Amino acid sequence: MTLVDFANLLVAAVLLAGIYAVMSVGMTVIYGVMKIVNLAHAGFMMLGAYFAMELFERLHLDPIVAALAVFPIMAIVGIAVYYLLVRWLPQSDKPTLPSLLLMFGLWLVLQNLGYVIWGNEDRSIFTPRTFDVIHAGPIILPTIRVYVFAAGAGCVLLLEALLNWTWFGRALRALVQNRYAGQIVGVDDQKIASLTFGLGIGFAGLAGALLASLYSFNPDFGRPFLIRAFVIIVLGGLESVSGVAIGALVLALVESFAIIWLPAGYQLAVSFGLLVVVLIVLPGGIASLIGRVRRLA
Amino acid sequence: MTSSPTPPPLLAVEALESAYGAVQVLWGVSFNVPHGQIVTIIGSNGAGKTTTLNTIIGVMKLRGGRILFKGEDIGTLPPHERVKRHISLVPEGRHLWPRMSAEDNLLMGAYQPSLRRDARRNLTRVYDLFPRLKERRSQLAGTLSGGEQQMCALGRGLMAEPELLMLDEPSLGLAPKLVDEIFAHVEQICKQGVTILLVAQNVSYALQMSETAYLMETGRITLSGPSRSLATNKYVVEAYIGKA
Repeated sequence: MTLVDFANLLVAAVLLAGIYAVMSVGMTVIYGVMKIVNLAHAGFMMLGAYFAMELFERLHLDPIVAALAVFPIMAIVGIAVYYLLVRWLPQSDKPTLPSLLLMFGLWLVLQNLGYVIWGNEDRSIFTPRTFDVIHAGPIILPTIRVYVFAAGAGCVLLLEALLNWTWFGRALRALVQNRYAGQIVGVDDQKIASLTFGLGIGFAGLAGALLASLYSFNPDFGRPFLIRAFVIIVLGGLESVSGVAIGALVLALVESFAIIWLPAGYQLAVSFGLLVVVLIVLPGGIASLIGRVRRLA
Repeated sequence: MTSSPTPPPLLAVEALESAYGAVQVLWGVSFNVPHGQIVTIIGSNGAGKTTTLNTIIGVMKLRGGRILFKGEDIGTLPPHERVKRHISLVPEGRHLWPRMSAEDNLLMGAYQPSLRRDARRNLTRVYDLFPRLKERRSQLAGTLSGGEQQMCALGRGLMAEPELLMLDEPSLGLAPKLVDEIFAHVEQICKQGVTILLVAQNVSYALQMSETAYLMETGRITLSGPSRSLATNKYVVEAYIGKA
């Protein structure tokens, strides 16, 4: 492998990590506040992809603009789903079986809704610029991937700012770390949970909408990405945006460089293999590794 | 204009009943907390003291009875509505957010929209009271020492501009010197006009500091009166002070 190949793979990995982070933070915030593993995440990603397509085809929005517009739409969908379904779940400090079943069922419903509305053929978003590339010296960058990365990374940074510098963000983190303490200072946990669910689903929709500019999709869209989101969350821990960003980068690097030794068709096997390895070797994620190294030092 | 001989207490708890599922913990608990006083509830582990405070703040639903704050029945309001009325709880075990900075922990005490405008001013007041917290403001709360954590929890409670401050075992697990320090702070806070409801296993301290005391045993108030008289009550001394 030449140095240029290496640089190209590295850049491709970083660009991929951006979109991986977007699709994982949504699951993370929902898990953090509600301890719900959102198995329906892939279904909401699929909805986001189709919404972006509709906005692109009917209103002729730029695909990136359409993706950003999908965010508030899906956030409202998320809040509605929270009030209709999620808030009836029993409250718990751990994931419960009813919550897993509800989210799994919701995913199936969303998928079939997708088949009813949009049919089962593969769709995609093409613009005259879809195959444009930027030449940065010897490195070749697909333009659309750069835009997708910029939009995704920008939104993740905005989320980090929201969590750190707003009252809503502080309340969200407070419920993640100690729900009881949040209640006694007067955090309305139902309200924060509904907004968090909206935020998480908004990010799912955004991820789907951004991915729709890169890949074709059908109502089953999102399934392989759900598995990747699990890997990233296990790697990065379930609590912090920075953890998710690191997890996304690790997975993207492993997947990108695995191509050197393995056919591209094995990509998903690589992420699943990584999940198994991490669960056995490093069940606490990267944060525990850093902690262990610090204790040794 | 007629002056009423006895002004109504700030907090009046009447025949309070509370339960975890099928297990009833409080069996008709009644007591009063007059304005400006330190009132204490003493009793052993599992008597229902913490449950009483959790029911007053609203985290625990009441099954019967009334909670009157300034004459208003707040017993069915959600916790945030009670915090808005300037009731504040410093819980047993402190319950800080370990991976948030000390300052963010304090600021969360002023989470209610009506409190946010003055949050910075109140933060300065808390830092004046606990200069140590100002030094450690950006440190994660989980890395503070036990005493600093207790100050942080107390400071968080003060950020809500409480009229009634409920303290649950503020001295638990602290070195004797720190216990003195914390209780000195509590007296100082009371002198500034904050009414205090203190729950403590450190019975002699609690009785020394307070004006009125209630003894709670297995979910019932079994004895009450001026703290001085409880401190010399033969039963209290034998069961709760002598053994310490």
